[in-house]
Amino acid sequence: MYRLIEFIKRIYVLVLFLIIEGVALWSYASSSPYTEAKILSRTTAVGGAISSTIGDVEHFFSLAENNRLLTERVAELSEQLAVYDERGMADIVGGGDLVDSLDKEHMGHFRYREARTVSMTTNRLRNFIVLDKGTEEGIAPDMGVITPNNELVGYVVSCSSHYCVVQPMLNVEFSTGGRLVDNDHVCMIIWPGDSKYRVEAQDISVYAEPREGMIVEVRSERLPKGVRIGTIESCELNSTKSAYSAVITIAADMSRLDNVLIVENTHYGELEALKQELNL
Amino acid sequence: MFRSVPYLAMTLMVLFLQIFILDELSIALWLRPMIFPLIVVLLPMEWRTIWVMLSTLAIGLIMDLALGGAGLYTATLLPLAVMRGSVLYITTRRSVEHGDQTSLFSRLTMRNMMIYVGAMLVLHHTMFFLLERLSFAMPVMLVATILCSSLLSLLIAWPIVRLFSSKIVL
Repeated sequence: MYRLIEFIKRIYVLVLFLIIEGVALWSYASSSPYTEAKILSRTTAVGGAISSTIGDVEHFFSLAENNRLLTERVAELSEQLAVYDERGMADIVGGGDLVDSLDKEHMGHFRYREARTVSMTTNRLRNFIVLDKGTEEGIAPDMGVITPNNELVGYVVSCSSHYCVVQPMLNVEFSTGGRLVDNDHVCMIIWPGDSKYRVEAQDISVYAEPREGMIVEVRSERLPKGVRIGTIESCELNSTKSAYSAVITIAADMSRLDNVLIVENTHYGELEALKQELNL
Repeated sequence: MFRSVPYLAMTLMVLFLQIFILDELSIALWLRPMIFPLIVVLLPMEWRTIWVMLSTLAIGLIMDLALGGAGLYTATLLPLAVMRGSVLYITTRRSVEHGDQTSLFSRLTMRNMMIYVGAMLVLHHTMFFLLERLSFAMPVMLVATILCSSLLSLLIAWPIVRLFSSKIVL
């Protein structure tokens, strides 16, 4: 005990320095989204090698589960291919063109890159995910991030050479457009910060008649059609009875993300420039 | 060994200069003089590190509150408090000895004093601008900002250090 007290006496200045410095840096880091993302990105770049090694080991042990998911995905795609083949044959027989039967607008300008999560948080109000792909792999801010099952994760907000930081749905500053699959009515998706399994859809038209079980997809230039956000759990009219708001159960399991897909819309820059030109 | 009231007056003057004059100047993006580290750099070397650290924390908090640094000023000042003994030894080969009757600063020549102050200002400016930008993009601009700002800070600090050496430290 005496030795312990002596030891603490000897190092208390260093400990105090580390505590105060840590608090100051934390305060600075959380003062703005820019510093938060940058510091997270930098610290991850430093510790990235360690995390990657640990991640590799974890990844190795989860190969069986990933293989199962991949097999399911392969099966699903094979099924889709079979449908396209069938339609193609029918079109050829009927004098049509297979390409016409595909959605030309959304097949051409979306690029997919596979990435893995290096680190992530889910217990804060402003959560971030760090992925192991950066500017050297062509990643840039505003790209969408989805799971292999086509479920929304978030959007890239910052990149270093080998890593990128993603603002996931579980971030109080996150917002994106949504679409009710059944009737195409649009809404705004935000995270109120109360549960890591739910987000909120706002400004749903009173004519949309949202109900439990309806699927909500992303409606954004950054992602193709068909990316799921989740399903409506409950909904209610707002106090002025002018719009609905709904609680949505998130489709992706945000607490155990591993392999994800980064989606690039190669026309996004053009769209943004056009919007800026019109001051939209 | 230190005249407390003149030292406090110098502290207030430096804070006033920094907050109301130097921080309001917009000379160039790469020229931002900061002389407030002088308050920490010139604290008595004979003080125990814990008191220097607490004084530094107070100065850092004042700067953060006054200039909206959100911890940036405190984070970059604190390392100076723990490194100043080592920096003084590296730059001047002098350190506090047991049984010293006079302040260590009173035994430094003006040249040694300015070398020590200059080294501490460069150290502070490096940490400050690196932490502020959080990016190594445009490294030449970053190095130019650190060096030019440190040099201008040292020029502004020179009369203050002279005043300190002649009137405050005994």
